[in-house]
Amino acid sequence: MKKSHIVLLVLVAVAVGVIVSMFGDFSTYETFASTAKQPGKSFHVIGYLQKDKGMEYDPQTDPNHFIFYAKDKAGNITKVIFNGAKPTDIEKSEQIVMKGYNDASGTFHCSGIQMKCPSKYKKDMAVGDNS
Amino acid sequence: MNTTQFIGEHLWPGQLGQFCVITAFICALFSAFSYYKAVRTENKLIGESNSWIKIGRAGFIIHAISIFGIFAFLYYIIANHLFEYHYAWEHSSLILPTKYLLSCFWEGQQGSFMLWAFWHCVLGLIVMRTAGILETRVMAIIAIVQACIASMLLGLYFGSDIQIGTSPFMLLRTVMQDAPIFASPNYMSFIHDGNGLNPLLQNYWMVIHPPVLFLGFSSTLIPFAFAISALWKNDYTTWVRPAVIWSLFAGAVLGTGIMMGGAWAYESLNFGGYWAWDPVENASLVPWITLVAALHTLIVYKATKRSLPVTFILFMITYCLVWYSTFLTRTGILGKTSVHAFTGDGSSLTYHLTTVIGLLLILCIGLLIKRWKELPRITTEEATVTREFWMFIGSFILLLSAIQIAITTSIPVWSPLAKMITGKDVAPPVNPVQHYNSIQVWVATVVALLSAAVLHMRFKQSDGKLVAKRLAITGSMTAVLSLFIGFDQKINAWQYDLLLYAACFGIVANIYYACFVQKVNFKKLGPAIAHLGFATVLLGILLSSFNKHIISYNTLGINLRFEKPTREEMLKENYENVLLYRNTPVAMGDYFATYVGDSVAPPDPRTFYKVDYVRMDSETNRVTESFTLYPDAFVNHKGNQSLISNPSTKHYWNRDIFTFVSSVIDPGKKTDTTKFVSHIVHAGDTIFLDNGYMVFNGFNAQVKDPRYIAKEGDIAVSAKLALYDIKGLVKTMQPIYYIRDRYEYQVDDTLGAKYLYARLSKIIPEKNAAEIMIRQTNPNSDFIVLKAIVFPFINVLWLGVIVMVFGFLLSMIRQITKKDRKVITNTPDITAQ
Repeated sequence: MKKSHIVLLVLVAVAVGVIVSMFGDFSTYETFASTAKQPGKSFHVIGYLQKDKGMEYDPQTDPNHFIFYAKDKAGNITKVIFNGAKPTDIEKSEQIVMKGYNDASGTFHCSGIQMKCPSKYKKDMAVGDNS
Repeated sequence: MNTTQFIGEHLWPGQLGQFCVITAFICALFSAFSYYKAVRTENKLIGESNSWIKIGRAGFIIHAISIFGIFAFLYYIIANHLFEYHYAWEHSSLILPTKYLLSCFWEGQQGSFMLWAFWHCVLGLIVMRTAGILETRVMAIIAIVQACIASMLLGLYFGSDIQIGTSPFMLLRTVMQDAPIFASPNYMSFIHDGNGLNPLLQNYWMVIHPPVLFLGFSSTLIPFAFAISALWKNDYTTWVRPAVIWSLFAGAVLGTGIMMGGAWAYESLNFGGYWAWDPVENASLVPWITLVAALHTLIVYKATKRSLPVTFILFMITYCLVWYSTFLTRTGILGKTSVHAFTGDGSSLTYHLTTVIGLLLILCIGLLIKRWKELPRITTEEATVTREFWMFIGSFILLLSAIQIAITTSIPVWSPLAKMITGKDVAPPVNPVQHYNSIQVWVATVVALLSAAVLHMRFKQSDGKLVAKRLAITGSMTAVLSLFIGFDQKINAWQYDLLLYAACFGIVANIYYACFVQKVNFKKLGPAIAHLGFATVLLGILLSSFNKHIISYNTLGINLRFEKPTREEMLKENYENVLLYRNTPVAMGDYFATYVGDSVAPPDPRTFYKVDYVRMDSETNRVTESFTLYPDAFVNHKGNQSLISNPSTKHYWNRDIFTFVSSVIDPGKKTDTTKFVSHIVHAGDTIFLDNGYMVFNGFNAQVKDPRYIAKEGDIAVSAKLALYDIKGLVKTMQPIYYIRDRYEYQVDDTLGAKYLYARLSKIIPEKNAAEIMIRQTNPNSDFIVLKAIVFPFINVLWLGVIVMVFGFLLSMIRQITKKDRKVITNTPDITAQ
């Protein structure tokens, strides 16, 4: 067997190991109810902004504190706290993807929001967690 | 059918443009067919074969002219604001500056396909003249790919469901058939302006980045076409030289394009950086990585006749990945995961692209299977201390790296399948940057070490002792350098210390090689310079990202949330935005930042926020440095309730301070409800204000003021007011009071920076007093929320990119000019016959 083949085999083995372990890194799309089962663990939740429940953002008290309510795909409405500036187009979003975790009390703490905007050619916007 | 005669439309550019689209498609097919016939007849009937070549060339030239024609007509439509065309209406507007007219092309789907086709034409015309004996096969492949791209622009409809391509020359009334406005023949008189270009694209980087990136994408076709031709012809020597040259060209241009995208993101997007491992970025990076791997195995093949099969596979993977990345970014499949993926253009594009990728795969795999047994191979074992051994290993590691990035990036593609099997709806990692970094740091380390060491070896046989000696010298020099940088920059994670060592090794060993082994023979320095640039890029990435830090932590006392007191927790909780009240300095890192005000300069739709920065010496309290940044934003652009902000960056030689506005006060809420407050004062009295005080220094009877024009019989007097703040005297104010024709008049004095209005409303002679009315609007009613990030040594990154690209180009020139001693390409002059 050639030396290069041995090295390749070792590399492939390492790569397979890395790729398998990397699957543990992947998140899953969940609902608020399923994130509540594992409080503190981060997931993605796809949901819709509940405009009628109102939003709280007062940058003069805290520019990194934005509270809103979102309905997930299962229809549950949960309070979401985003530790960042309020994404400016969120009222217009037709769908939002929230990254974050549920605390024990059932509030969803969000570290990143990505919005899908209705305009066909408008690029999607994301905030948080990109730095 | 609609038989309404519409008024005010300009139909001819669209009709000519559509004619060009169809001509381009047919000519590409025709050219591909002719070249194919030329290949089929080359061994039997030279005369017939040559005729086919001539027809094929003519076909391709007409095709190229048509593609240029499409460009010209669409440009005409956009430049003349013919909004009856959907493309112009959707992507441009009357006020759009001329320099951005070209950007309108690439905002839309069809425009970027056109750009792609355009570069293919340019490159195809060059290849047609230079490919020699391989022309027929290479051009057949280029032409068939061009037919695929042209088909994306066809806009043919079969029934209501099947659509092939989307034409850029669609009329607005065709696209929006249901809108009632298009029922009236004079609908054009209602359409005054277009939608306009996405503000994010109104940036000079967006004028140059897409053409360069697409030239890079397009140029990967050429080595691919040569690889396919080699397999097709069963000739594995002729293709090598042009493939090396074109791979070097593609590597240089695609690399430049990718990093220009990074520069664009850095300068005009508020991601907070030049690279976010966004799927769209990855989609262009992965083909570059595999292209570089292919280039290296090709060089191994050129020098040693080894690694031919893997070279073919890598070129095929690269080109298929270019189409796959188009698929990822254009079909909207990334919708949930990418910041800047285009939203989908319907399922027809998905099927269309899938078909093209499928055809490419069939071609590649079919040819490989057909020729697999005939491929020349060397069965002996290579020596360990040789370039070919380590270059092969390096290329393989690059391929593995590309696979890792591709798997994670493609989550939206394979997650439906995974959901069927496991029931889990897989999402990308919660922290993608960390995910990629933690894996790719190893690739970067190993590849940097290899790129440092490999040039010191030779092909086939190296002097092991000499190599060991050189590597020991450079390795120990590197140890000193990297220890110094590591301590100086406080790089205290061992993985990144290894990367630091590897990157420094890449720099030191390649400089050593260039200076002492190659004796600065400039012509031959290409590889060393490219490797040096690559290592410098890695060093720049490491230094700028590892110590990248946010300085805009919210430290205003009133805003501290007491349950989260520590910096670490604030970090974790993303407290990265700071509130700046107008004229109130806030400590930010080493600086005091003060938001001074906003301004607009029509017709520029942006609002600029002026933020002053000063740095004080902590002991003497003297200002050591001051500068002003103007981050800007589109506020409520086109009536949208939105803020699209652009960063403003202070560049130092060793770091950048990157700032952008993340939130502003709603301009509609900046109402002014404060009233004048009366103060009765005597000379020497003090009036206290919100952020300072004011001293009344008596009256001035000699009013000389441009705001007051004296008249016969007037009695005029002004009040001498001196305004102080913490730092001392700011300004004197002189409100004027005068009596004219028995009526009292006042001229207010104002101080914009302090929002202060002073009025001398009355004089009380019996008390020798004055009534001063003061109105000060609340400075807290105007504020911005700002984020500021420091990137240390980011210039090392940009420098590295330039050096690397220069190395690629230098190697390319060397390959073009070098007299090839071994391979004599016998190019028969076919046109002469």
